[in-house]
Amino acid sequence: MEDCGDPCIKCEELLQPYVDRELTDEERIEAEAHLALCGYCARRYRFESTLRRYVRKCCEEQMPVELKEKLLALRTPLL
Amino acid sequence: MTEPEPETAARRIAGEARDRIRFEEDALQYADQVYRVARRLVPSREEAEDLVQDTYTRAFRSWRSFTQGTNMRAWLFRILTNLNIDRGRRNQRTPDLQPIEEGDYFLYNRLEETGGSEDEQVVEKLSQDGVVQALAAIPHDFRDVLVLVDIGEFSYRDAAQILDIPIGTVMSRLHRGRRILKHELAEQAVGQAS
Repeated sequence: MEDCGDPCIKCEELLQPYVDRELTDEERIEAEAHLALCGYCARRYRFESTLRRYVRKCCEEQMPVELKEKLLALRTPLL
Repeated sequence: MTEPEPETAARRIAGEARDRIRFEEDALQYADQVYRVARRLVPSREEAEDLVQDTYTRAFRSWRSFTQGTNMRAWLFRILTNLNIDRGRRNQRTPDLQPIEEGDYFLYNRLEETGGSEDEQVVEKLSQDGVVQALAAIPHDFRDVLVLVDIGEFSYRDAAQILDIPIGTVMSRLHRGRRILKHELAEQAVGQAS
């Protein structure tokens, strides 16, 4: 496996939409072929995905019960 | 034109009431997600609670404008983001790109240097409060996109529709927003180490 340099241009083009699962099948195959060959991008991909999951986890927060009750009170009253 | 039979009119009213109640129940299923995103769009918990209440008040009031069978989650978040902009959001100066150019690599390299064999161990060195603070430091335009895609888990297309911007703008703001986030996190990592 070879590294293609820091920063890798290919990585910049494909990494973000690949992490976000926004590539077409053809582009995804291209991205995966590149990740299989480029150690630098493969490490970056793993890191970016992990970081994204971690950020999401850090933002998990339960809605306060009082707010939920206020929202329920906004409903049309049942006659 | 003849007046509708009273029975027909009553049935129509009852049908509409049923539709409305179903709409409200469906919309409330997204309340946790709306709250989670609202918390990251505005600075305080109180403002987030107000924003969520205003979103549902408007959604319930304008329920007829929702087209059945379309994406209700995206429709609700469009109300949320529009209300947030209406709340007197100012145009912030776009930050100077120069100092964050290396943000992408710097965080990765910095955290890697501090040890840990798995990526999970590496990112967990970042505190939850630190991540929340770093998100808050991102200018609004970039943060809106990042919060919708990364926390709301919307596709680029849905985020574009919600914010009424082209998909290309979603992608560039997301890229920039994540770079700013990583730059902020890298600065915290440096601060912790020193």
